[in-house]
Amino acid sequence: MSASVPFLGYGLGLRSAYYQQILEQSPDVDWFEVVSENFMVQGGKALYFLDAIAERYPVVMHGVSLSIGGPHALDPDYLKQLKQLAERVKPAWISDHLCWSRGNAHQLHDLLPLPYTEESLEYIAARVTQVQDVLQRPLVLENVSSYVRVATDDFTEWEFLQALSHVSGCELLLDVNNVYVSSRNHGFDPWTFIQSLPKDKVRQLHLAGHSDYGDYVIDTHDHPVSDPVWALYQRTLEHFGPVATLLERDDHFPPLEELLDELHKARELGDRVLAGRQQCA
Amino acid sequence: MRLNEWQLAFEAFLLEESTAAPPALSTSLIGGPTLDVDTGLAIYHNAYKARLLEVLRNDFPVIYHWLGDEAFDALAGAYLRQHPSTHYSLRWLGQGFEAFIREYLVPEQSAPLSELATLEWAFTLAFDSPPGVPLTIETMAGFSPQEWPALQVKPRPSLQWLEQRFNSLALWRSVKDATDFPDSEALEAPQVCLIWRSNLLCNYRSLESAEANALNGMIHQGWSFAELCAELAVIYGEGAPLRAVTWLKQWVHDGMLERLE
Repeated sequence: MSASVPFLGYGLGLRSAYYQQILEQSPDVDWFEVVSENFMVQGGKALYFLDAIAERYPVVMHGVSLSIGGPHALDPDYLKQLKQLAERVKPAWISDHLCWSRGNAHQLHDLLPLPYTEESLEYIAARVTQVQDVLQRPLVLENVSSYVRVATDDFTEWEFLQALSHVSGCELLLDVNNVYVSSRNHGFDPWTFIQSLPKDKVRQLHLAGHSDYGDYVIDTHDHPVSDPVWALYQRTLEHFGPVATLLERDDHFPPLEELLDELHKARELGDRVLAGRQQCA
Repeated sequence: MRLNEWQLAFEAFLLEESTAAPPALSTSLIGGPTLDVDTGLAIYHNAYKARLLEVLRNDFPVIYHWLGDEAFDALAGAYLRQHPSTHYSLRWLGQGFEAFIREYLVPEQSAPLSELATLEWAFTLAFDSPPGVPLTIETMAGFSPQEWPALQVKPRPSLQWLEQRFNSLALWRSVKDATDFPDSEALEAPQVCLIWRSNLLCNYRSLESAEANALNGMIHQGWSFAELCAELAVIYGEGAPLRAVTWLKQWVHDGMLERLE
């Protein structure tokens, strides 16, 4: 990891179910990741809690609607609101997904897969530049889980991420669970994916749970992190060194204490791995 | 297939009722060792529909409770086919649901349901509307005697004025309180219901017609406090100023109003 990338430590996705408890108990969380669109409103509870939590903790903004690979023009209103929110919460960085979520005519509200072709690379790199010009900072893009692949791809997903970050200057949010999910669905080696990413571009990691249906795996974010993903995470830290790690949960919300225990597990594992790396050095 | 063409085909597939993908799309894709293309595409198709239905169920919980799974999903599904989402935030997905219900169903079904949709949507609007600058009791206490006659007010941004002909509020309350769901019925006389947010909480209140007329004059017709007193004098005589100040204090205390400068 490059020395210029701050290591924020171990964070949680901020969800409304936990707002009150976070303010009352100031839990041992290094930082919070907020879903940008949830706070693109004009008032009310969400903004109140966001302001209060951003006063106490570092915050990172994570969007789901940029649609960087979509067939439409980038939405200037969306970008304006994203920038306004960034001015309000002063996030450590701003991320979204390498996907498309809006079609030609309609919003599709999903993280849809992209063809990894030369055409896509050129198209998306230009749009990343456009976004970075507005936000005046590197955009951080996350690999998504996928359930189909395009037959005529010129690149693997990891080659595409590498090329895109090289061409556009964007940084990467490596979702370890998504790598695992896609590797199961498409039959590739998850470690080949992870170790191919440029070390100086990986700004953040995601950990989350999935649903395993045997023949395929769906990225549901409604379970604890699975053992194979923990193992992959450990190997990722051994390879990359300290990278800000975020635990996501989007459904079947357990008591906050359970998420804090899971986050603690990530922290312990991270501390152990990083201590081992220092000894080796 | 070019990127744009491929995305058009994918979008059209997601918006179709059928989970059977057109050959041009499925032949452009490959599956994995144990995940075939049709199953992979079905995962996207199902997720698209399920996600949008869940948003509408959450935004219209009383209509959902009233209709049940099957009828609600049929109604919401018809809405989504006619009005696919156009806003980047799912928060606005249900914006046209009330108007759709009014046009889609026969009047005897649509009238109570669309009124309920208006009520439920009003709560979502109150929830995250701008806070505005509320007029407070403390500010009013500092008014000089000369300021009172000319005092004018306007609604807080979250305040919504709903005219109801059915017992929609009773239906809404029964779901919120988890009590027996009453039959839908017409009210003896239409009633004004206010929805607004104060101190981060959404509030509601029904108004009797005299109070509704008074508030309507103040916030919709631009009456000053002196004009309110004059209007009330027709009914309340010398008691009009006391009546006017009592109501005004209540509205201000409830956090519904801003001062119109």
